[in-house]
Amino acid sequence: MADTQDNRPGEEEDEEEEIDDTSYKTIKDAVLFAIDISESMLERPPLSDDKKAERDSPASATLKCALHLMQQRIISNPKDMMGILLYGTEKTDLKDGDNTFQHCYLLTDLDVPCAQDVKQLRDLLENEEEAEEILKPAKEPASIATVLFCANQIFTTKAPNFSSRRLFLVTDNDNPATVKQDKETAITRARDLYDLGCTIDLFPISKPDHGFDRTRFYDDLVYPTSPSDPDAPVAIPSTTKVAKSGDGLTLLKQLLSSINSKAAPRRALFSLPFEIGPGMRIGVKGFILIKRQEHVKSCYVWVGGEKPQIVQSSTSHMADDTARVVEKIELRKVYKFGGDTITFTPEEFIQIRQCFGEPIIRIVGFKPLSMLPLWANVNKATFVYPSEADFIGSTRVFSALQQKLLKSKKMALAWFVARKNASPVMAAIIPGEERYDENGEQTMPPGLWLVPLPFANDLRQCPEQPPEPRTTDELTDKMRVIIEQLQLPKGVYDPSKYPNPDLQWFYRILQAMALEEEVPTKPDDKTLPKYKQIEKRCGEYIEEYGQTFDEVFKTVGRAALSSRPKAAAKKRPATAAADDDDDEPKPNKRVKKEPKVKNEDGDDGLTDEQMAGINNKGTLTKQTVAVLKEYLSARGQPVTGKKADLVERVQDYLEDKGL
Amino acid sequence: MAGKEATVYILDLGTSMGQKRHGREKSDLDWAMEYVWDKITTTVATGRKTALMSVIGVRTDDSDLAGIMDVDEGYENINVFSPLKQWLLPDIRRLQGVVKPSATNNGDVMSAVAVAVQQIDAATTGTTGKPLKFDRRIIIVTDGRGSLDTGDMDAITSKIKDYDPPVEVVLLGVDFNDADSGYKEEDKDTTKVENETILKEFVENCNGNFGTLAEAIEQLGIPRIKETRPTPSYRGTLTLGDTEKSQATITIDVERYPCTMVAKPPTASSFVARTDLGGLGETQSSNTIVGDEDVPMDGQLSAVRNQRVYQVDNPDDPGEKMNVEPDDLERGFEYGRTAVHISESDANVVKLETAASLQLVGFIQAEKFERFLPMSRTNFIVPQKTNAEAQLALSSLIHALFEAECYAVARLVVKQDKAPLMIVMVPHITPSYEALVEAELPFEEDVRRYKFPPLDKKLTVSGKIITEHKDLPNAELTQAMSDYVDAMNLSEYDKDDEGEPTEYAKIEDTYSPLLHRVNQIIRWRATHSDPTLPLPDPPQILTRFSEPPSDLIQQTEQQLAALKKAADVKKVPPKTKGRGKRSRADRDKPLSGLDIDALLGNPKRIKIDANNLVPSFKQALAATDDLEAIQEAADAMAAQIRTLVRNSVGDSAYGRALEALRVMRDELTELEEPEIWNVFVREFKSELIGGKLGGDRREMWWKVRGSKYGLIDRKRCFASDVTEEEAAQFYK
Repeated sequence: MADTQDNRPGEEEDEEEEIDDTSYKTIKDAVLFAIDISESMLERPPLSDDKKAERDSPASATLKCALHLMQQRIISNPKDMMGILLYGTEKTDLKDGDNTFQHCYLLTDLDVPCAQDVKQLRDLLENEEEAEEILKPAKEPASIATVLFCANQIFTTKAPNFSSRRLFLVTDNDNPATVKQDKETAITRARDLYDLGCTIDLFPISKPDHGFDRTRFYDDLVYPTSPSDPDAPVAIPSTTKVAKSGDGLTLLKQLLSSINSKAAPRRALFSLPFEIGPGMRIGVKGFILIKRQEHVKSCYVWVGGEKPQIVQSSTSHMADDTARVVEKIELRKVYKFGGDTITFTPEEFIQIRQCFGEPIIRIVGFKPLSMLPLWANVNKATFVYPSEADFIGSTRVFSALQQKLLKSKKMALAWFVARKNASPVMAAIIPGEERYDENGEQTMPPGLWLVPLPFANDLRQCPEQPPEPRTTDELTDKMRVIIEQLQLPKGVYDPSKYPNPDLQWFYRILQAMALEEEVPTKPDDKTLPKYKQIEKRCGEYIEEYGQTFDEVFKTVGRAALSSRPKAAAKKRPATAAADDDDDEPKPNKRVKKEPKVKNEDGDDGLTDEQMAGINNKGTLTKQTVAVLKEYLSARGQPVTGKKADLVERVQDYLEDKGL
Repeated sequence: MAGKEATVYILDLGTSMGQKRHGREKSDLDWAMEYVWDKITTTVATGRKTALMSVIGVRTDDSDLAGIMDVDEGYENINVFSPLKQWLLPDIRRLQGVVKPSATNNGDVMSAVAVAVQQIDAATTGTTGKPLKFDRRIIIVTDGRGSLDTGDMDAITSKIKDYDPPVEVVLLGVDFNDADSGYKEEDKDTTKVENETILKEFVENCNGNFGTLAEAIEQLGIPRIKETRPTPSYRGTLTLGDTEKSQATITIDVERYPCTMVAKPPTASSFVARTDLGGLGETQSSNTIVGDEDVPMDGQLSAVRNQRVYQVDNPDDPGEKMNVEPDDLERGFEYGRTAVHISESDANVVKLETAASLQLVGFIQAEKFERFLPMSRTNFIVPQKTNAEAQLALSSLIHALFEAECYAVARLVVKQDKAPLMIVMVPHITPSYEALVEAELPFEEDVRRYKFPPLDKKLTVSGKIITEHKDLPNAELTQAMSDYVDAMNLSEYDKDDEGEPTEYAKIEDTYSPLLHRVNQIIRWRATHSDPTLPLPDPPQILTRFSEPPSDLIQQTEQQLAALKKAADVKKVPPKTKGRGKRSRADRDKPLSGLDIDALLGNPKRIKIDANNLVPSFKQALAATDDLEAIQEAADAMAAQIRTLVRNSVGDSAYGRALEALRVMRDELTELEEPEIWNVFVREFKSELIGGKLGGDRREMWWKVRGSKYGLIDRKRCFASDVTEEEAAQFYK
């Protein structure tokens, strides 16, 4: 079984063709929740009949939030660590028998979460007895300095070299240290954490009778946010909104939203000069904001012991002839050619790959956005944002460019070399507008997007097609009604409405298996079309379309067949039956809305009438080739040949129309 | 994909080809071979067994017909260098050895054509005597200075046109007159004039192609694009509505073909020099071995195998690993850090069951579509072949989308039990075909919702909105940028064949630089095996679009100057770090701006605390400028690192030690005291390797090495006296 993974000798692929985003992932993150367990944190909101009313105490909302985050991170960041520390509890337990940190209870140790952690947390939320035992406030609250030092120790030992370490402090107490001495200790401990490279993220919760005033205590503890990549743009406000219950939104939702708003790119994909014109450079950074999230690859599991264990595999290179272990630097890259091999020295290799100049994004010129058709796509786009690290003034120039491109609906064409060894590509740089949701949260950041374009080498031919049959205006209009009826909300595609069904199913099953629970049987697939809505909104239009289709096909379809006897003589595939519903026509209901005459839309250039007018005036030959082509192509006519051919074709077309 | 091919090259090797004419640096033959080698190596590079080639020399010193003709008479000074076969690298080498100008001008090109026809005939006729399906081609390269025997010309012509398709004859004349390109050689001697006429007439009669060599070589620069036969990735139905339960549905039979597909350069494989031959330095030259046909390159290199080792944590001995046999392993997945074992029979349980389908989900407005969302290459959705109903129905959808200015969103499952994809489909109408073009859209999980600050305003901590700021463009900059962008317009910068303005840098005009570069170099090396030759530069056409067109730059000089002035961008000078900067006053402060050191009474010495190692070290360094105190802090830190390693059970404390090393190294670099670190790390290395820190700590050394926590060299810190080579040596 192990053999399936072994590469054939010499077949190992080596080149870094794509922008390598593995380094992007290696920036691991460790999050430790520190949750204040006090009487007020445990207090439930008054019962209410309103379904949307708050049901959770602040503490349990926080724990639910932590559970949600834990499950989400297992999917999205399987290498990241998470832990939950309760403080102010009667019990003291740090899972190591040490009682130094009074009233601190380590519910989940800081580690990559395991199935058991998920289960334990869920049980705690469901099982009230257990909850009461653990979530019991001490008579004396824990000192905040103790909590901070405890977090310090946990981070130091459990996640020593994680570049991103964050302490999520959830509390409703805005002044936990009233004595000056205590406050000073807390401030010192907070600075220790800062020096250690850990961030304190405060998630304040307001009490029903009392707001949360940061200036009383926490502003001395929290530092301006420092992302792990010192060059990453600081977007996140260092302060988080104060969550309070009974605000329409549940506490849980507010907390989740606060935590999500802390999501920041941990590292830039690239940091490059951006040449807007010769001798005019600014600095930019690239970030991956859109990327296919795959589920974890299958791994080997050792089942020889008590518990199944994940196997770590390491690969070494071995010379085929002597079975000698080979170091990487000894490897020679070889091209196969004519049944033999052609080698280059490593220096020559560098010369071959790096002959296109330094890594850069260089604008070649500008074009209207309409010159970027959808087919010109080969890969995901990269988000680009300015950086002042190398050029002072980058942000304002970038901003001017972004706003200009937005305003004029233009794009830049650029020569793009992402890294030293990267293959140069041509890219379209398109503006991205900042967008917000109804709560004022940013949903799309402002910036530019770099869309890699295909080269001539990457274009494939569309298979040949007989010229007939083509649609008629009548049939097109029937289809158009359906299209207008089935618009997605606001006429846009919103990714957040479509969770990946395959990914979700995979983790649901995996979680059930990991927890040894019953495996669910029915997936929840939000990508399936909403059949009922389709039926309701345009069932009748679909039937009308079907009828028109039959009529049109009788004339157009037959003509098509007779016009190409060769193709007609061929065997028709068995699956030719197209529209099931066509066989059973329903009584025809008149569509209320008159289908628009397409020529009056005005969007596809000149109308037939206008063109006829031009023709009658004898000025048809004065029209530019572009106008004629647009007119013809909008009517499905060929646009090949010289101008004289185009003019003739337009006249033929008008004649057919009786104009 | 191309079919079978048989190509014969007829090379004129007469003495006259050895001359350099018209101020060229190369002899006519070398010049001609530039073209021939390019053609031959291109064919060899495809590795196709069905692309047969042979080379016939004419006006050679000796004669060798390789038994192709029944008689030798009349075929003197013709040399068949190779049978018609697939060419490999050794064939190229062999040909290189024989292609040189001869000592004679005798020999007849037409006779060589007869031999070529005969050779093709023999190689492309089936066992039944019928000609097989082949693309036959004869390429003649000559300077037209030999003598021509026109006797059999008509017979040869009719033989050539006898095949279906006929043999394609290509004539490349060295300095032939050419009406098309307007080339005319001055003072041409009369034989050449006559020969040119005869040869051109012959080619015309064969419906072949004539061109000058100069033209042909010029065209070599334009990269050739490999054609690929389209293969469908989905064949099925495009549906609207619930086809199982509902009456009102639309079903169209469609197929999906690639529209874009990134063509990758050839990949290199890994080999290693054979050790039994004395190692890399001696026998392994940097490229192929010349001339020695019996010892192929492979003799010098040995394939590389990958050996895998499987390890688990030893349950009996925490901190230790043990090797396990591949036979004891089963498949599974990681859920967090839990291993979920899934037996072979259960393997499908994690798979979502799906049926192959393409279902319309809804429609969106083209205007509002975010062009950065599509995340894949694109495909055509076309009607099923020869299905007129499907073609009509799809045509109506395509046109309706086009007119309504909408795109379709659909759910695609290409094969049973494959994961569903959300795709966007846009209408694509051309004169010769209609299709939907489709690309993948992101799911919820695929979008990372990172926040970035606004670009058109500034928000303060207190929530105020500022519109004038150094990070925001002022009116002057906005205007200058607008003018510049408008001036650098490419949309009508090029001219089409009729002189009408057209888009500059169309996709059809851009060629993948790396792909053609690698191919170019491989082909070049195949015919230039001397390792001392410098590699040629990439052809200009590959870098054509790496910069704005130069005359456009000139035209927009003014706008650019205005933009530069308004932008006032300054390069950040190289970092001026120093100890001076690290005063306490510069330390980061909490949101409130509280001076914590002042609060604590600005202590002068801070002790390194084992339980608070990294923070106390940083604070100790911040508290002092005194070299002695720095040394003291570093010593204390070093002692703690050693303690961590010494007391580590297995590798349990290595992580902490590494983090401490990183901080210590970074801080000392910044303080410009690299010597303190370098002294320590040299000792530390020898202690690790020498087993002086509680047993075998070599693994710790590997980790230090892997993290590159070695010597601080001059490049990293100017105050260091360690060279980069020395630093690199340290890791060995």
